[in-house]
Amino acid sequence: MSGAAGSGAGAAGSVGSVVRRFLVEYGSGTPSRLKVLDAYLLYVLLTGALQFGYCLGVGTFPFNSFLSGFISAVGSFILGVCLRIQINPQNKGEFQGISPERAFADFLFANTILHLVVINFVG
Amino acid sequence: MAAPGPRLRLAAAISLLLLLAGAQALAPSHRLTSRDLARLRAALERPFADVQAAYYSIVGLDSLGVRVADEKAACNFVKSHVDSSSVDSLFYAAQSIRVLSGCEVTISNETRELLLAAVSEDSSITQIFHAVGALSSFGLPLASQEALSALTARLSKEENVLATIQALETASYLSQQADLSGIVEEIEDLVARLDDLGGVYLQFEEGIETTALFVAAAYKLSDHVGTEPAMKEDQIIQLMNAIFSKKNFETLSEAFSVACAAGSLSRNHYHLPVIIVPDGPAAVSHHQPVLRLQVTDVMSQPLTQASVKLDYAKSASSKATVLQQTPFTLSGDVFELNFMNVKPASGYYDFSISVDGDKRFIANKVELKVKVSTEVGITNVDLSTVDKDQSIAPKTTRVAYPAKAKGSFTADSHQNFALSFQLIDVNSGAELIPHQTFVRLHNQKTGQEVVFVAEPDSKNVYKFELDTSERKTEFDSASGTYTLYLIIGDATLENPILWNVADVVIKFPEEDAPSTVQSKNLFVPKPEIQHLFREPEKRPPTVVSNTFTALILSPLLLLLILWIKIGANISNFSFAPSTIVFHLGHAAMLGLMYVYWTQLNMFQTLKYLAILGGVTFLAGNRMLAQKAVKRTH
Repeated sequence: MSGAAGSGAGAAGSVGSVVRRFLVEYGSGTPSRLKVLDAYLLYVLLTGALQFGYCLGVGTFPFNSFLSGFISAVGSFILGVCLRIQINPQNKGEFQGISPERAFADFLFANTILHLVVINFVG
Repeated sequence: MAAPGPRLRLAAAISLLLLLAGAQALAPSHRLTSRDLARLRAALERPFADVQAAYYSIVGLDSLGVRVADEKAACNFVKSHVDSSSVDSLFYAAQSIRVLSGCEVTISNETRELLLAAVSEDSSITQIFHAVGALSSFGLPLASQEALSALTARLSKEENVLATIQALETASYLSQQADLSGIVEEIEDLVARLDDLGGVYLQFEEGIETTALFVAAAYKLSDHVGTEPAMKEDQIIQLMNAIFSKKNFETLSEAFSVACAAGSLSRNHYHLPVIIVPDGPAAVSHHQPVLRLQVTDVMSQPLTQASVKLDYAKSASSKATVLQQTPFTLSGDVFELNFMNVKPASGYYDFSISVDGDKRFIANKVELKVKVSTEVGITNVDLSTVDKDQSIAPKTTRVAYPAKAKGSFTADSHQNFALSFQLIDVNSGAELIPHQTFVRLHNQKTGQEVVFVAEPDSKNVYKFELDTSERKTEFDSASGTYTLYLIIGDATLENPILWNVADVVIKFPEEDAPSTVQSKNLFVPKPEIQHLFREPEKRPPTVVSNTFTALILSPLLLLLILWIKIGANISNFSFAPSTIVFHLGHAAMLGLMYVYWTQLNMFQTLKYLAILGGVTFLAGNRMLAQKAVKRTH
């Protein structure tokens, strides 16, 4: 019993310790530029999740509005992730020809097209 | 091998039918009845306005065989109104004077010179016609050969129909020694120019007047020259139909032309159209056994010299010949035949009648449909109630027409009502099958009526049976007393019958009886249909959606807090123009998105986006390049 409890406490403890270690590593090892971008990604995620939850709650009318909002969130999240990958100095080896400025310009351009379509669809 | 055979026979039959249809002569559809003639006369007997009007009236009436009322006054009018310097006026005067009896006039030398000078190649055909006509009617000598050459020369220049017709008339005044065959050939050419309207009418596009003048001129010339006009029988009949279809005449010249045509068609040497019409309806019966025919020419003058013969009379239904080769007898102005002598059965008969006696007769064979009527009698009328189980013998009552059966009959769930009768021809005793044999049941209380058809069986005995369980839908299950009528009718019956035979009490099973008997009135307003508009979709209450809208902005708040916590700032913001332009352009693009959402369409947005995007791109490019340079240093 105590072994199971201990292992359970240990398991709980191990999950907690993993999370704590992750947060410490993240806080120290990540450049602030990436942290800013991560905050943006979290914001977009929450917005998308809230929209989805609302749709589940009150129904899908009007469906096109829900879709456009949700796709805007999802698309923005994906483009943000792409930007983060391209800016991350640890990945510099894989993106030889693409400078961070270029990545940012691509990010802006893709977002423009995405939101053009989203605004068209939102009705 | 069966397939080609019947098809070949069918094709042969159709071609034979077509041949026969073509071979059968057209029957005249229009003629001048005595009323039409009176109208024509009235149109012509107007007081004279001038010499031309006098000519139309006098000569027109003469064509109809009627003399002018006051010939002396007419003669004086013409003599006083003639204009000796005009060839036309002289022509009208000359023709009128020739027709009027006891009218003499002397012609001065100048007038004669004038007329002779008009007969030349330089005058129009009308002028030549009038000059030649005047010279001939005044009895003055005329050089036929010169006139003929002048006419032929003019004809080649004036090709219209009216000129050619006038040339025909002119030629009829010229001496027969001159070679008029060239002019006679024009008749054929003119016939070719006639328009066929539906196979019934043949006329010139210039109108009825021209057509009538053509007919008169063609026959005048043909009689003069002695050759038959080149017109087929069908064409003559079609011309007749066209000319005599006009019953009201607007102008005097129109009336004149129709009168001339009528006169020529009833008096020429070659063709005499015959009109055969029944006198009254073409029906015979026991009371009226004689079929009367009016056989006349186009002016409704009876052709009492003709011999009228019935070629054959065939029954329309059985095609059996009942009579053939029987002559009609003349009685006054009408030809008669007593058809009931052969005791024909009632029905329709096809008569083929031919009129002979003169070689000139055309359209002298007609087909006529004659109806033979009779009277019907009802015999052996038996009313009975038949038990459904066949356990009790049927009770039969005999009724005689026109009496009504005493007592009433019942039809309910265990007995049927039956009626049987026979229809015979009263005169011949033969059995009849008329078109209409109905049994009508009329509900006395509600006014409902139901009509059934009584059918004959193989022995021609009519039977009708009323089974309440089978027929309850027709009656709407309304029980009660119904009056029974028998209705017999046919086109060939002179005495249609509506006979109240008996009263029938009909009882339907109780459970089917409707609570109230409604008369089926079709013309009351029907229940109104309410239109269901499309329901709007269910939406959450405004509170909920407003709350959510506020809620959705909370992650944005979180974002700002996180950014501040991380330490994001704009301290590196350089106020280079490209940076400012870039940021402004970007902001403008976001603003454009909002405007697109509220107002614009895609095309306008793309246009603005292209401009803004281009500017922003250039500025951004510059800005980012500067940033990259700064970074690498």
